[in-house]
Amino acid sequence: MKVLVLNCGSSSIKYQLFDMTDQHVISKGGIEKVGMKGSFLKHTREDGQVVLFEGEIIDHKAGIEYILGVLTSVKHGCLKSLDEIEAVGHRVVHGGERFKSSVYIDEEVKAVLEKNIGLAPLHNPPNLKGIYAMEELIPGIPQVGVFDTAFHQTMEPYAYMYGIPYILYKKHAIRRYGFHGTSHRYVSQRVCDLLGRDITTQKIITCHLGNGASVAAVKNGKSVDTSMGFTPIEGLIMGTRAGDLDIGVVTFIMEKEELGLRSANSLFNKHSGMLGLTGVSSDMREIEQAAEAGNERALLALEMYSYRVRKYIGAYAAAMGGLDILVFTGGIGENASNIRQESLKELEFLGVDLDVEKNQSFRKEGEISLPGSRVKVMVIPTNEELMIALDTETIIREKKENF
Amino acid sequence: MASEIIREPIEDFGLSKKGKSNALFSKIGIIGCGLVGQNMARVASYYGLEVVFIEVSQEKIAEAFAGITRMMDHRISHWGLTESEKRAHLSRITGTTEYEMLKGCDFVIEAIRPVDRGIKIKERKEIFRKIESVVDRECIIATNSTTVIITELASDMLYKDRCISLHFFVNSPDARIVEVVKGLYTSEETYQKVCKFVKLINRTIIPVEESAGLISIRLFVVALNESCEILMEGVSTMEDIDLTMRVGFGMRMGPFEVADKIGLDKVVRWMENIYSEFGDVRYKPSPLIKKLVRAKHFGVSAGQGFYAYDAEGNRLSVKPKPC
Repeated sequence: MKVLVLNCGSSSIKYQLFDMTDQHVISKGGIEKVGMKGSFLKHTREDGQVVLFEGEIIDHKAGIEYILGVLTSVKHGCLKSLDEIEAVGHRVVHGGERFKSSVYIDEEVKAVLEKNIGLAPLHNPPNLKGIYAMEELIPGIPQVGVFDTAFHQTMEPYAYMYGIPYILYKKHAIRRYGFHGTSHRYVSQRVCDLLGRDITTQKIITCHLGNGASVAAVKNGKSVDTSMGFTPIEGLIMGTRAGDLDIGVVTFIMEKEELGLRSANSLFNKHSGMLGLTGVSSDMREIEQAAEAGNERALLALEMYSYRVRKYIGAYAAAMGGLDILVFTGGIGENASNIRQESLKELEFLGVDLDVEKNQSFRKEGEISLPGSRVKVMVIPTNEELMIALDTETIIREKKENF
Repeated sequence: MASEIIREPIEDFGLSKKGKSNALFSKIGIIGCGLVGQNMARVASYYGLEVVFIEVSQEKIAEAFAGITRMMDHRISHWGLTESEKRAHLSRITGTTEYEMLKGCDFVIEAIRPVDRGIKIKERKEIFRKIESVVDRECIIATNSTTVIITELASDMLYKDRCISLHFFVNSPDARIVEVVKGLYTSEETYQKVCKFVKLINRTIIPVEESAGLISIRLFVVALNESCEILMEGVSTMEDIDLTMRVGFGMRMGPFEVADKIGLDKVVRWMENIYSEFGDVRYKPSPLIKKLVRAKHFGVSAGQGFYAYDAEGNRLSVKPKPC
């Protein structure tokens, strides 16, 4: 089965075409600047050759049309006809409370997604556009939605409710949802496969550290808590997002700086985090370079970053009553050895014994704890696209078998 | 060789090979880049559109860019924009004196600074003709004027159906509404396309029938005239009239504050235009406003209007200035 995985952002579309017989990526690529001048499609062919297609891409539908056109083109494509694509898997950011796992997209699901737009006004509309565009371009193609929030729907009410009037939960569905679910799910599963352990008996903490970052507590294969909440701003300090913050600070700043809602939003989402702290960059590599050159604020920010991760590890070990496996993933989790080391500082009491030497410059899949460490510390490169493709395949198979 | 990137035009790879599609509003033109034009340029570039604005001289172009940059910097200092966003937005804006540069625009809006009414209609008509001579048939041509009738402007055009009037709010550029007026000749297609444009820049459309002053200006000038009456009758002070409207009716600014911000010269012209259209004294500029305009006390921009202001446009004293 060939599955096309689509991730439609507000002005970008990423795609990967999977051959599910051996789960390999046939070709992949992405479109940037949808609807803007200078839009382009960058496609990596089966043979590794990169092709840049330049020209106007007015909307998501046009973009997807070009992706399909490229995939079926004689010159750069890999498909004889569109019929070879058996299903499309979409990354959908917010599934709300309704979607606890990936779903086959039918009329009802679309209606619910439309209703959920309010929960993720920036992300869900382009996701939906992608779904509608595929419908038009390949009528009748089976489509599956894979949600960033779904994995965390196993959280208990005591973990997902906020200490605010209950009526707000009833009225606006305000509660913690958590994000990066597909990534947390993939790495927690993958790490158990690698270690030959049964996920339903394990207490796992997964740290997805990328430009956005979150930690999840996965107990017996289920997410019991995660650091992001109603929106992806809660929890860890991120590239440009503040993470946990006293609400009093928000109202105080809004008054002192005479900020409106939009500015406040942008202050805490775009001007804060590592960028706001360092004034250098939101990019971890640049911050580390600055720190090496003696930039004090960069040093401070790095300390804060790791300290926040460490606090969450401690909290989630407590929440699960123990810890068996700790996973690092995401651009920073997979590459920044210093961040990993600092995040695990003095966690020996929990049974975490990092192999400091091995950890340095470790950039692949594998273990970075010492052989005797009670807690296995692992680096697992995330693969959300594969997860989406796998879910899509499973759901479409089941659907076919049921008919 | 795998390391070399191959480049291809994307148009050749559409499924239907239907050729180059015409993107809706990828590029807009603005004629006259005063305060109104600058705000439109800033907003359009914010939403990813290319902007070409026409000014009369290189000096005016530089002034316009300085104004746009100032607006963006203000936003940055209030956390509403990042430096990299500013760079990206500015890179989409081009200033020129050549109408030729409007080629390829999907939408051109005239927002010239006000001059005398008599000349103005003629000038605007001339501008519309100049725009029409360089743009494609599909291009929509609009005016931001509220008191000039679009039907009159369109009457001499080759394709009258493409003309429309829309009004952005100058005094509060972040007011997310735009008044859209269909003229006698305006086609439904043009109207629908403009609605799409307005939605694209995240504004709400207020459809208005063709009528001088639309909703906003007509209501505002009457309120201002009446405020002047109250002041001249000695019923209350300027501050208290503003305060009453602000607090009592939940407005962000009182009538005098708004008038100063818009510019009293402009307000007078609005009033005269609406007055000459309806002939109702309600719209006739209050002698108080005319007096200030004669003294070149135009408002915030002049440092002096109903109130006094410093160079940054901050109000100087709370004490009313003797009129």
